Amino acid sequence: MSRQTKFGIRPCTWVYLFLMFFSFVTFMIGQAGLSGLEVALAVLILALIKGQLVGHYFMGLGSVRGIWHWPVFIWLFIPGILIGTAFYLSYSTG
Amino acid sequence: MTAAVAVAEKQNRYPPGDLVIWIFILAELLVFAAFFSAYAFTRMNNVELFNEFQQNLDRQAALINTFALITSSYFVVRAVSAIREGNSQHCVRWLLAALVMGVVFLVVKGGEYSHHLGEGINLSTNTFYMFYISLTFFHFMHVIMGMVILAAVAIKAQKGGYSAAEHTGVEAGASYWHMVDLLWLILFPLVYVMR
Repeated sequence: MSRQTKFGIRPCTWVYLFLMFFSFVTFMIGQAGLSGLEVALAVLILALIKGQLVGHYFMGLGSVRGIWHWPVFIWLFIPGILIGTAFYLSYSTG
Repeated sequence: MTAAVAVAEKQNRYPPGDLVIWIFILAELLVFAAFFSAYAFTRMNNVELFNEFQQNLDRQAALINTFALITSSYFVVRAVSAIREGNSQHCVRWLLAALVMGVVFLVVKGGEYSHHLGEGINLSTNTFYMFYISLTFFHFMHVIMGMVILAAVAIKAQKGGYSAAEHTGVEAGASYWHMVDLLWLILFPLVYVMR
């Protein structure tokens, strides 16, 4: 995590900037009042990607081999599927 | 196999920090996964109610809190980097900066709760608020717990209790704090934005 890129910026700093930017994008989607299945799923996928970045770079699981590489990914995947399914059903039955 | 290679091998097979904290983290994540799923499936049968009352939430406050937690998590990453380089003083400074961001989160969230309570909103107002208050307050308590852990780690680091060779406590505290951030990154869009 302390490695410098050729731009002199740490990987964790890039991840930090990415997380901040896409959190703002999520906020703007809410402020714009955007709704619908596609929007909800896009926001969800963005949240899952952000979560995976936290697990990989901030928690340091990216450099771990074996079973301990996966817990955050699996954790994001299961509720992600369930939440996505619930939103899909709410639109398909509504 | 030399001792150094063996240590590197062990570090690559296990996550940073103590394994016990990771068992604890996984248990916490499972509880929140159940909460998140329950919210989504309950919403499925109350879409109009959830969409209507979601609009009453203070999304700007939630954004500030998102920024505060992401920033604090970043500061904690820097604290871990500092102690890995053997720099206790920098580690303490980064941890204190992270704690300040934690205080920002508590103040903003406290303001939100105060506003809702002033409007007479509580757990029994409706299903949406029951989930909103339960989920966010449960997370709020985890932020407080995380801050207590970070403060304890900072105090020990200040006393020279960690070094470049032995800093498991810093990594364990950091892992817990990142979990708090991770949970909010799902909670924020789910409760405040997705509709």
